[in-house]
Amino acid sequence: MNSRILAAWLAWGLWIMDPLAAAGLEARPAQASPALQAMDLAGQPRTLADYRGKVVLLNFWASWCPPCRREMPSMERLRLAMRGRPLEIVALDSAEPEEDVLGFLATMQLGFPILLDPEGVNTRRWKVYALPTTFLLDAEGRIRFVLKGGAEWDEGDARAAVEGLLNELETGKPSL
Amino acid sequence: MVTCVRLICAWLGSSMRRRLTRGGAGRLGVFWAACLAGSVQAAMPDYQVESAQGERLLLWVSSERGRAEPEAVAARRLAQQGVAVWLLDVPSAYFLPQLPSSMDRVSVDDMADWLRQALGGGKAVTVYAVARAAVPILRAVSRLEPAERRRLCLLLMYPNLYQSADALADANYLQTGRIEGLSIRLLQPRRSAATPWLSAQVAHLANLGARVTPVLLENLREGFWARESPTPYETLRSQQLDTLVLQELEACR
Repeated sequence: MNSRILAAWLAWGLWIMDPLAAAGLEARPAQASPALQAMDLAGQPRTLADYRGKVVLLNFWASWCPPCRREMPSMERLRLAMRGRPLEIVALDSAEPEEDVLGFLATMQLGFPILLDPEGVNTRRWKVYALPTTFLLDAEGRIRFVLKGGAEWDEGDARAAVEGLLNELETGKPSL
Repeated sequence: MVTCVRLICAWLGSSMRRRLTRGGAGRLGVFWAACLAGSVQAAMPDYQVESAQGERLLLWVSSERGRAEPEAVAARRLAQQGVAVWLLDVPSAYFLPQLPSSMDRVSVDDMADWLRQALGGGKAVTVYAVARAAVPILRAVSRLEPAERRRLCLLLMYPNLYQSADALADANYLQTGRIEGLSIRLLQPRRSAATPWLSAQVAHLANLGARVTPVLLENLREGFWARESPTPYETLRSQQLDTLVLQELEACR
């Protein structure tokens, strides 16, 4: 009896310590993505077509948002860990002036592309109501996972979801 | 028996409430706890009064997170400037958890009675409601007679009116009722995930019959007066919260 109670407490403890279990990375039936039309920091127009053929981690964020700032280093670590594999991490800044974005980027070295959405057009099109919100897209550009809230992207369920989509692409076998 | 207790609680409550001063809210909270423990609800919520001789009355309804000290300070400063303030901390008044959903459980009749009592005093009444507190206030306002409603003005600070707001789907709004003739100033800190949805919020309230004026508060985040790590500008504006509210109160007509 006591061991059962202990096991239950341990399970509960593990559940609350797992940031993604708490935050709720949500698997979705594959669905087409809304359009993405944004400028990168070099002033070049970008769409999802630029990343077709790769798994895409599309992150909606803002520099004033503490959980967005907290998860950024883990996205960079994920990028480095997955170097050479078909993964593109794209961070779309939501409804902020470019100078605010540049001010934040001066404090943190990130190797993935940052896109700008100063008027929030893409934010509305993707119906993002909270920041950060992240979408995992498969190589066909279909949405497969959604996460509202932050995560440590280089560990746990978050990394496993990315790995699953990469394996699916690399082996041709469905990950789920 | 229950009716008897309810009447005693309501009578005691109204007499005590009028004598409220700072620090009295805690004692009154214990009193209400005793009343609620007997499955009795008062006719109106427990609130704190900052008296003033002027012609204006502000009903300040804090967010679901409860009242923060800068709000109490701002209310005292407003009273010194002639604006009477009734402060309502809904989770504390109703012994509810500090969650958005708690605000949906508030008795709309109680809130409507509270608004009527405010209007009955003869002062120009403005209601300032923060975040999810907008929901019980809008519901109560919809219960008022049109003539009463036209005498009110609402300042809604980043109202959260969503029943659900899931990514990739249209947001669902909570039912709050018709509010024809009501003037609303919708105050939205710019640094918020809600900012791209400001025009949708305005359209929603306008569809319910309100006249809505959106106001963007630059370089601020939601709840800037109670942030764990405020920016220097947020700290400054937090210290000037009374000025901000007074400015919006004067514009709210």
